[in-house]
Amino acid sequence: MSEESKNLSRRNALKCMAYGGAGTLFALSGGVLTPFNLADAADDKASMMKYGKPLFLQISDTHFGFAKEANPDVAGTFKQTLELVNGLKEQPPLIIHTGDITHLSKPSEFDMANQLFSQLRVTEMHTVPGEHDTTDPDVKEYFSRFGKASNNKGYYSFDHDGVHFIGLINVLQFKPGGLGILGDEQLAWVKADLKHRSSSTPVVVFTHMPLWTIYEPWGWGTSDAPQLMEQLRRFGSVTVLNGHIHQIVQKVEGNITFHSARSTAYPQPVAGEGAGPGPLKVPAGELTKYLGVTNVTINKHQHSVSLTDMAIG
Amino acid sequence: MSMKRVLSTMLPGSVIALSCLVQLRALADDALLIGDVSRGKTLYQSCEACHSVDQNDVGPKHRGVVGRLAGSVSDYVYSDALKKSGITWTETTLNRWLIDPSAMVSGTKMFFRIDSAQSRADIIAFLKEQTTAK
Repeated sequence: MSEESKNLSRRNALKCMAYGGAGTLFALSGGVLTPFNLADAADDKASMMKYGKPLFLQISDTHFGFAKEANPDVAGTFKQTLELVNGLKEQPPLIIHTGDITHLSKPSEFDMANQLFSQLRVTEMHTVPGEHDTTDPDVKEYFSRFGKASNNKGYYSFDHDGVHFIGLINVLQFKPGGLGILGDEQLAWVKADLKHRSSSTPVVVFTHMPLWTIYEPWGWGTSDAPQLMEQLRRFGSVTVLNGHIHQIVQKVEGNITFHSARSTAYPQPVAGEGAGPGPLKVPAGELTKYLGVTNVTINKHQHSVSLTDMAIG
Repeated sequence: MSMKRVLSTMLPGSVIALSCLVQLRALADDALLIGDVSRGKTLYQSCEACHSVDQNDVGPKHRGVVGRLAGSVSDYVYSDALKKSGITWTETTLNRWLIDPSAMVSGTKMFFRIDSAQSRADIIAFLKEQTTAK
């Protein structure tokens, strides 16, 4: 074997070691998800370009302030996330945080979040709150820091690079059992927001709790999400993102791709395993394999959006 | 016998039977199984998204919860509904609470339920230990 071949093999082996547990890249085209080998795409700009240009990165469930056995150092694992994200060769133009920024909505926890977020190379961040961000009696800590975009309503939209983004809030009311609620007012606002948009516009909807029922006994869903889906069905490419369940779960329904992201703080059990959802303690040294972010690219030529999940360790 | 007469004859019995069924169901829901403290400790990990034994979290701290008046941890902010509920936490009331908190106290902040009677018993057994273990 030539020296060059050896180096190439070694490089490929290292790539596989680094990204072997990181997940798979999916490209969505015409509603069909196609898996790609992430190791091929991880540091190869030409390969990445096949999948499209970086659109945004999703971070979720940072839970600053959490310090229980499942992860006594959530700031530490977020710093590892920072290294991963800041090390991406192609930086996405914006970051979306799908909630549970903090664990207990304390000012000190939000301050820690802002201090750490300021170390990201990407400076534009859009957020929606999780139920852990809204536990203070007046729900003012989240909105005083992140409420401007939505005029303190929690729901808003914006456009970036031809893609329409909609951030929604489903953590202020709950059904018995825990399903989230969007509410009539918010649903009416979405209807008005989408009314004049062309069906060819790629749409990204992001919220904290799943907008599809993943497991009702644990409240992993949103009770009135079907009404929202009715409004989204006419669009050719819809990507619906959430956090809350701290693990990757994915579903495709027509032109709508649903994707739940990992947390950067701690994993939770698979639906139905154990008495309920909660911080899952995993063997020492394996925690970071369960934590990560989702990178989303867009291929304008194919009107497709691709999702890549990356573990931080 | 006319159909009307048949129905009027059967109805009281049916109502009684239905009533008995409802009561039996309620008794079954309230029936306490023997809890396994060790399994309860493992299952308590599920509660730790919102609770701790010794620190207030999204929900109040749990040490001493069995025997405590609901809404009485001084440094935790409860819903008005729970503060006014007058409930004392016993094995029986905790079991009913974990079946469906909002059915027991409308307006409570807690919405999470545990469907398995054995899991409820195990968690309650673990909580009971936290009263005396420290």
